[in-house]
Amino acid sequence: MVIMSATLDFLSVNVWHILMAIGNLLILVLILKKFLFKPVQNILKQREEEISQTYGKADKALEEAESEKELYRQKLDGAKAEADSLIESASKRAKEESSEIISAAREEAAARRRRADEDIELAKKKAAEELKGSVSEMVIGLASEVVGREIDEKAHAALIDEAIESLGE
Amino acid sequence: MEIEVTGAKILFELPFGITITETQVNMWLVMLGIAIFCIWLTHDLKVRPTSRRQLVAEFLVKTTENFVTGNMGAAWKGFVPYIAALFSLAMFSSLISLLGMYPPTSDLNTTAGWAIMTFVMITFFKIKTNGPLGYAKSLTEPIFIMTPMNVLGEFATPLSMAFRMFGNVASGTVVSALVYAALAAANNALFGWLPGILGEMAEKLPILQLGLPAVLSLYFDVFSGVLQAFIFCMLTMLYIASAAEKE
Repeated sequence: MVIMSATLDFLSVNVWHILMAIGNLLILVLILKKFLFKPVQNILKQREEEISQTYGKADKALEEAESEKELYRQKLDGAKAEADSLIESASKRAKEESSEIISAAREEAAARRRRADEDIELAKKKAAEELKGSVSEMVIGLASEVVGREIDEKAHAALIDEAIESLGE
Repeated sequence: MEIEVTGAKILFELPFGITITETQVNMWLVMLGIAIFCIWLTHDLKVRPTSRRQLVAEFLVKTTENFVTGNMGAAWKGFVPYIAALFSLAMFSSLISLLGMYPPTSDLNTTAGWAIMTFVMITFFKIKTNGPLGYAKSLTEPIFIMTPMNVLGEFATPLSMAFRMFGNVASGTVVSALVYAALAAANNALFGWLPGILGEMAEKLPILQLGLPAVLSLYFDVFSGVLQAFIFCMLTMLYIASAAEKE
């Protein structure tokens, strides 16, 4: 190797230099491919994949949300129907119960009244009997006073009773 | 005054007559810079980007992909790294002249190499699409006598591409050198008559060389460099895409 201080002519053709220019160009193609295009294209591809993945996830999530919404809507409808039927049955039962209570109360009241009526009747009868007894005694007393003789109490009591009976009617 | 315009400096000589010039070394530096930039851009990428660095990397990849598929069709996605390499290498090889280094694109061998790549691919896709016979037949159309013209036309494509880029970048260097020399001469003429040490100092101070070369450099180095890289890529894409179309 010799260090030269000469120059080429302004216009010179040298096959080696032409080949070296071509070689340099091809080497630079490889350099750019390896250090610029490959890495950037890789990253762009990865980004595209990530974006499509994200879109897929979003679509899936939306679908799930829709189906869950439908599920909840159905559940809500079921709950509403259940609540309606519960309220209906409860009110029905309440009505039945109240009518039962009312009728029981009525029955009881009627029974009490009947009993009271019976009591009154009984008391009336008793009072009438007592009155009858005392009246006949009084009448017999008075008659014996008036007549001045003893009247056969037992024999005449029946007669007086008959008389009162007929009076009382 | 003598102005010398030369090609790249020869730095080393290897066996078999292979020489390594500024062209090769500067191109390797450009490639090294691009490689380091790419590695820095794409280290520690995340699926959910957090750094502006990653956004720049993604923007570059997407822009070049859209650029290539927009011009050639969606089927040419595998072609994106080649166009990206061609564009970045051509652009930065021209822009390196901003640092005062020799631009590899002002060496005809460089642009010729890239143009030959384009030519090889054009021919490859033409043969692949139409078959070897179809390709040979297409050279004899519309009539047999036109064959030499058609063959010439095939070679004209890479030749014009190589010379277009080389010419633009190299001519920028030449024009810049000429303007600089002219300004130096004007500087001497303007201030050289000053007496004594004042004149000597004024001669050495590049006063007139201050503004114009910067503006010219903006055009020849920045605008022309980027534009020629773009044109080279556009032509490569369009030629190859149309070569792969069935006739």
